[in-house]
Amino acid sequence: MATRALLAVLSASPPRMIRIKVSTFPSSSSSSSIKFQRHITIARCFSSDTNPSVLQPPDVSRLAETARISLTPSEIEECGAKIRQVIDWFGQLQQVDVSSVEPAIRAEMEGGNLREDAPETFENRESIRASIPSFDEVYLKVPKVLNKE
Amino acid sequence: MSTTLFRTIQPNHFTLLTTALLRTRRTSRHISVRCQTSTTTQQSSSQQQQPRTSAPKNHGSNKLDEILKDYEAVIGIETHVQLSTSTKAFCSCPNSYGSHPNTSICPVCMGLPGALPVLSSKVVDFGVRLGLALNCSLSLKSKFDRKQYFYPDLPKGYQISQFDVPIASGGYVDVDIPLEFGGGHRRFGITRVHMEEDAGKLLHSDAGDYSQVDLNRAGVPLLEIVSEPDIRSGVEAAEYGSEMQRIVRYLGVSNGNMQEGSLRCDVNISIRPIGQAEFGTKVEIKNLNAFSAMSRAIDYEITRQALLYNQGQADQIVTETRLWDEGAQKTVTMRKKEGLADYRYFPEPDLPEVILTQEYVDSIRASLPELPEAKRRRYEAMGLGIQDVLFLANDVSVAEYFDEVIGKGADVKSAANWLMSDIAAYLKNEELSISDVKLTPQELAELIAAIKDETISGKIGKQILFELLAKGGTVQGMIKEKDLVQITDPVEIEKMIMKVISESPKQLEQYRSGKTKLQGFFTGQVMKMSKGKANPALLNKILLEKLNAKD
Repeated sequence: MATRALLAVLSASPPRMIRIKVSTFPSSSSSSSIKFQRHITIARCFSSDTNPSVLQPPDVSRLAETARISLTPSEIEECGAKIRQVIDWFGQLQQVDVSSVEPAIRAEMEGGNLREDAPETFENRESIRASIPSFDEVYLKVPKVLNKE
Repeated sequence: MSTTLFRTIQPNHFTLLTTALLRTRRTSRHISVRCQTSTTTQQSSSQQQQPRTSAPKNHGSNKLDEILKDYEAVIGIETHVQLSTSTKAFCSCPNSYGSHPNTSICPVCMGLPGALPVLSSKVVDFGVRLGLALNCSLSLKSKFDRKQYFYPDLPKGYQISQFDVPIASGGYVDVDIPLEFGGGHRRFGITRVHMEEDAGKLLHSDAGDYSQVDLNRAGVPLLEIVSEPDIRSGVEAAEYGSEMQRIVRYLGVSNGNMQEGSLRCDVNISIRPIGQAEFGTKVEIKNLNAFSAMSRAIDYEITRQALLYNQGQADQIVTETRLWDEGAQKTVTMRKKEGLADYRYFPEPDLPEVILTQEYVDSIRASLPELPEAKRRRYEAMGLGIQDVLFLANDVSVAEYFDEVIGKGADVKSAANWLMSDIAAYLKNEELSISDVKLTPQELAELIAAIKDETISGKIGKQILFELLAKGGTVQGMIKEKDLVQITDPVEIEKMIMKVISESPKQLEQYRSGKTKLQGFFTGQVMKMSKGKANPALLNKILLEKLNAKD
């Protein structure tokens, strides 16, 4: 279900920058001690075989709504142009042929940086609570909510 | 009553089976014909009148079978497991259930500006553990993503989760369906397992136009398990859920308590006419607080959807989330999903890749305990019946106890019987768990041996069991202290028999004139005289001789 949801969500969002590559290959990270299993990896792939300059203009009003930021019509226009510029600038990357390069998950080289499972109480909790305007001694008071989004 | 003296200590299989049968919700087709009292048709009608302590019986159980002739239910389950780590996933706040609200907080889990998450090594450990236990392939490189939406219990405005590269995927789980629901093995696929954080808790006040938020739970680590849509019925779903609970408890990654919210299951269900390849419209069911509720909700939903199909109104089935109303025993619409939510997933920039080495994975694999499925197969191979197997392997502490007892050399079947009958009853009455009893596995083995070699009788064994459970002590010690050694000297037994006979001439005459049932009376008297120590078999034999002698 999650896989299908993924495909549905990604196809619902503006298709400008993200191409889904559904491929079947033995992950380079699996070794002989893990039984080989055919699996489908969905990897973000920025290589494109469509015309690189055809990128959809950003739907700024929708973006603003999902980010819960209110914009005036003139701000929408202004923003739209600026966002467009950034997208086009990144769009230059689409001219690079990366069809023979395996998609990287992340940019940096090293992983790690894990924490020990040792509890620590944050000393200044009181000031956190005090800074919440609607805190009522025990709970945070919020407007009555019925459903998620 | 005196007939109990002649009974050896065996579980009352018959009782166990009939109580199981009386609880059966499915039609009598599935009932084993070992039941001797009534015909199967009688059973199903008498089922309706049995007093119920649990939820009302599914009155449509015959109806459901009719439906399942035409339609196939396609069910997938998403399980969220709250991990029993000491700290939250991305900060060092204590992870302890039941703390005073909003005391386990810090800038990281509160989403305050500038705070950065740091992943706990334990979460990765548990994730690998569970992935391996579910026979998954592990992604040696995986990452976190932000799932973005606004809600009062989500301080950051996004949940750190794993979207397209989960830590584990492509596994399966094997379960045994309980006998009363037909028995048999099933294998269900596991699509993926991924790590994520929990949100806070939202409390709705009855009065007032406000709700309340407790953020102690925000940031608590979760593992989400997504199953393949391989499940076909409420019974299968309940067993899948139980097995998830068993596995996480066996592994020690979670306490798996549905009441606490440490284990949460959401069901995705659609039906389709048998033979159709395409899936029907899928409905999500939430608010399931017990496996039995899951089963009933699924049965209800299958019936609801089938009815709409039959009425030509299949288009009334929409993709939506429904809530299970435990009081009304039905699913109700929560809201209609207007398309899928746009979570705008992107890789979490504040967290590095999660990298696993093959050595790390291998070392965890080597340290996995024997899992429920392996235990069940091993117990079956030892010759135990499936009912016993399911009971013993259900709770990891009971299984460990059992393994220790037979490890000391005790007879497998006897050990199983003691645990399943007398000891289980004691635990239930006293509301204890097996780890609380004072009777050590060593002593249970001793008890079994003492009965086996006839040092004490079975009945005496039962008596001292109770004391051993409550106060501990040794079997040998108790035998000595209470002078419980069985009397197996025929001469002594004969003496007692003769005394009883001479003291009860009236009963003797009655017996000799045909009331052979009075043998029980004499047995009882001798037992009383011997303080229960007379060997029942010998007593029986000699008594019969004497009673029938002067004929």
